[in-house]
Amino acid sequence: MLEHFALGAQIALQPLSLLMMLLGVAWGIIGGALPGISGSIAMALLLPLTFGMNPAVALMMLAGVYIGAMYGGSITAILIRTPGTPGAAATVIDGYELHKKGLSGKALGVSLITGTVGGIVSVFILVGLAVPLSKLALAFGPPEYFALGVFGLALISSFVGRDLLKGAISGLLGLILATAGTDPFSGTPRFTFGGTDLLTGVELVAGMIGLFAVSEMFQQIAESEAWAVIKGKFSTDLPTWVELIRLKTAMVIGIVMGTIEGLLPGGGGAIAAFISYNEAKRWSKTPEEFGHGSLEGVAAPETANNVVTGTAMIPLLTFGIPGSNSAAIMLAAMLLHGISPGPQLFERTPQIVYGLFVGMFVANIMMLVLGYLSLRPAIAIVNIKRPLLLASILALVLVGAYSISNRMFEVWVVLGTGLLGYGMRRFGFNILAMVLGLVLGFLVEVNLRRSLLISLGNPWVFFTRPISVALLTFALFTLLWPIIRQAREDRRAKALQTVQAS
Amino acid sequence: MRRADLLIGIGLLAFAAFYFRQSFEITVGFASDRLGPAFFPRLLALALAGCALALIARSLRGRSDPAPLPSIRTNLLLWTLGLTIAYVLALTPLGYLIATPLYLAGIVWLLGHRSPVGLAGTAIGVTAALYLVFAQALKVLVPVGLLGR
Repeated sequence: MLEHFALGAQIALQPLSLLMMLLGVAWGIIGGALPGISGSIAMALLLPLTFGMNPAVALMMLAGVYIGAMYGGSITAILIRTPGTPGAAATVIDGYELHKKGLSGKALGVSLITGTVGGIVSVFILVGLAVPLSKLALAFGPPEYFALGVFGLALISSFVGRDLLKGAISGLLGLILATAGTDPFSGTPRFTFGGTDLLTGVELVAGMIGLFAVSEMFQQIAESEAWAVIKGKFSTDLPTWVELIRLKTAMVIGIVMGTIEGLLPGGGGAIAAFISYNEAKRWSKTPEEFGHGSLEGVAAPETANNVVTGTAMIPLLTFGIPGSNSAAIMLAAMLLHGISPGPQLFERTPQIVYGLFVGMFVANIMMLVLGYLSLRPAIAIVNIKRPLLLASILALVLVGAYSISNRMFEVWVVLGTGLLGYGMRRFGFNILAMVLGLVLGFLVEVNLRRSLLISLGNPWVFFTRPISVALLTFALFTLLWPIIRQAREDRRAKALQTVQAS
Repeated sequence: MRRADLLIGIGLLAFAAFYFRQSFEITVGFASDRLGPAFFPRLLALALAGCALALIARSLRGRSDPAPLPSIRTNLLLWTLGLTIAYVLALTPLGYLIATPLYLAGIVWLLGHRSPVGLAGTAIGVTAALYLVFAQALKVLVPVGLLGR
């Protein structure tokens, strides 16, 4: 394993890699701090630029954006009471109170420092868990990969968002979109409507930019209220060592919750941040300060959401199942460069995995430095006029889409999926499930057909292998659970009504 | 959201039928596997049809979330969309360097920012920045249009 780390360090510490990571972290901080641009949107916007890069460098740069955005999101949370990313939603509560008291520098400093600690700890957790787990996945053949794909889709459809049915429809639409193009087995064109534009299928990057970023721009234009602005100057006095040491309980809580959430699919740090906030309040020596400007109230959620940056990579790297928008974008970046996650990744291209490990460690340190330097310019970023920002992002998206393969078709795909994504947001559908369907469609179909080829057409192949049968059972349970729960709640409500009536 | 769900369910059902019908257009090659290229799409079409029916049934039974949708600035969205489509169509004949600043200024204006500095700054600054990144650094062949020869 040590030689693998040496290999990873060799790639991660090259000047070009360091420069790209620095740009990535800076873009992440800016993206996170721009109201309306979340970390995953910042990552999606960067995807077209990573095409020509070495895959290891592309992944490190994207991880840098992810890490930077976690701090960037807390800047808007603290200064204008708007979470820049979903993970910073809990930071708003005490961060904004501190800002009102004139302690903005302390709040931002705590967010930055606890975030860096959380991020660095998470890299160690990532290495400690991902490497052994990847060995488990060595036993995977086509039936297991098929079952895993189905399980991943079932998880995202039912746990992200509140509506299982709409989640399932979203996932199916993604899978359907993925079938357009050339059939991976026989090479015949499918759903290309006689043209040549669709022969290579719906470009993943275009679909992701449309569904994640453009849909958000449309929503901002059509529905959002005006953004808040920072008025006047603010103090940039940083927290003292004594103040930081007092935050240790809050940070430990953040680390534990962030680790658990990273391993589970769904919230992208938001849930861990809220749970950490509540737990930190319960364990605090001064719980009465929470809600009135407690530094612990900033430290706990900010540690947690930065821990998720590392731990969310565990299911992604070992099994290829992304649990959040940002992880889904990392997966797309891997597939674009012809890398499929899973045990082969660790065996065949250790330089990519270990490069990412070392890179994420370095990126966290870069975040600390860049975050400190950005304390004052942050006002200008947060106070940007919305029309200027939205126009710039739209132009960036359109030119980026064109750059994917030097043709207009992807530009139309971006606009079409953007409009579809906005409709899905509005009517409660699940964008992540759709993206996951689009990303995993190939894996699911190919492994379904490959399994049946091996078993000579006998469908029992999925039920005679222990891992495959376990995964499919979990998938079924995941899909049925919300229905069972609903039925139980209904029965309870009915029972309550009869009791009250009598 | 009940009526919306009903309409979406009907739309999805129609799409599933269309997609199922289209799967018969696939010509199966010689070098195929047992299931063939049309099996998985048909499976998906049936699953989608099932989910669409469930959505329709749910909206008719009134089990959907009755929460009202947030209000929407339809005109602004349509204007933005129209301007964007016009930009994409104009990109090839006019060229990137002419169409992009016009588009940027148009969107900034549309979204209610009227200061000349903001309009011109965004139009010129973003066009130049994207040109440097994509055309110069990444060697993307952006359409030259009128400026080309």
